[in-house]
Amino acid sequence: MEGAMQLANNPVLWIFSLLIIGVVVFQGITFIRLASRASESVGMSHSEVKTAIKVGTINAIGPSLGIMIVAVSLITLLGDPLTLMRIGIIGSAATESMGATIAASAFGTELGASDFGRHAFVTVVWVLCLGGSGWLLFTVLFTKSLGRMEKKVSDKSRRRGFSVMTIVSTAAMLAVFANFASGEVLKGYNTALAVAISAMTMVIVSFTASRKKHLSWLNEWSLGLSILAALSVSYYTL
Amino acid sequence: MAISESSLKAKQLEASVVLGMEQFHRKSHFWGRLTISIVLVLTISLPLYLSFVLGFHPGWQPIMAGFAAYAAMVGYAWVMEPISYYPTLGVSGTYQAFLTGNISNMCLPSAAAAQNAIGAVPGTKKGEVTAALAIGAASLMNMSILMVIILAGSHLISIIPASIQEVFPYIVPAIFGGILAQFAVKKPVYGAVALAVGLTVNLMPIVAFLKGVVCILMTVAICIWVEKRKHSGAAI
Repeated sequence: MEGAMQLANNPVLWIFSLLIIGVVVFQGITFIRLASRASESVGMSHSEVKTAIKVGTINAIGPSLGIMIVAVSLITLLGDPLTLMRIGIIGSAATESMGATIAASAFGTELGASDFGRHAFVTVVWVLCLGGSGWLLFTVLFTKSLGRMEKKVSDKSRRRGFSVMTIVSTAAMLAVFANFASGEVLKGYNTALAVAISAMTMVIVSFTASRKKHLSWLNEWSLGLSILAALSVSYYTL
Repeated sequence: MAISESSLKAKQLEASVVLGMEQFHRKSHFWGRLTISIVLVLTISLPLYLSFVLGFHPGWQPIMAGFAAYAAMVGYAWVMEPISYYPTLGVSGTYQAFLTGNISNMCLPSAAAAQNAIGAVPGTKKGEVTAALAIGAASLMNMSILMVIILAGSHLISIIPASIQEVFPYIVPAIFGGILAQFAVKKPVYGAVALAVGLTVNLMPIVAFLKGVVCILMTVAICIWVEKRKHSGAAI
């Protein structure tokens, strides 16, 4: 375990990890820049651009805090730099801890066990890095084809008179979250309660915001408020 | 420092040229592919370095055994997730979300909330640009919080009382419920269809990794059918 932790905090790991985080930050800035340059051509005002950025920022806080606990438990097992690099790019904290557990057992040991040595640690690094590359490779190779497919669908629908792409996008989004929410509802009483309270709060906030013009700022905070309401109720009922 | 400098430069550039949607996509493909390729090279170089430069190679057998088990669990997602999230994320959103991760719990909710706040419809050009902005901002925020967690680490956790930490696992279900309701308020029919399909699919003995796809396909098909009926009804 000690040997593994020494290797896990090796400066080279820090360099790789910080380089990767650097690329993610660079990408974020690049896309914000590109999107704000494109905003005018799709009829977005300057204040709408600002709102979009602000809402994105606000709504990352809740999930990031949720990641925190898993991240901290990963740090004690895998060290700082590997945790930073794995959670910083594709792969949620949950997937990564599952992958690390699988890799350790493939080497014949357990995470955090006294015989979890340098070689076991390197096995974990291999499995997590190869495993995460699947998404990256697919995205690099096939996003362009997905774009061409979308263009065909939207060209066809223009002739038909209504936008199929808008229906598909909205319905797909609802389907994704209906599937996740249903899974949580069926998981147990506590998660079902969190889903229900959050959904109810969202409905109330959305109605209030649309009723009065001067309350439309509530839309920016609606998800945050819903999460807070759900957590408060969970806190008192647990 | 680096961040503030480049954002300053970004502001100067932003004022100079306006991009059309076509150019926006072309540039998104270029920068998206470039950044992800760099990360791919970096992620594979790290284990190679540990194995062959530092000399701690564990042998290919445990690596392959571990990788096979991992791939069996999430391998479907390598293909299914980019395809099924594409209609909502768009070109630029896909490149961003699949690099920064936390797609269902952070990227999609942030994009949806931003589209809702400024009234942009998903699947339209405005919707896509809004999603790109929101996901970029969310990703930067996520990185900042992550850095703080890594630096302050366990100390930070020890300050938060255990009773409050206990409710953290409910953040994710709350996100799912909230976003579902946000869209359902706007499109009640779609919402009802999606929820009915979601519950049915989750109650049926379907393999876990197919649930998401089945849900999307069924919901989209039913919603298109509903729209078509409405449309042809109006034409008559």
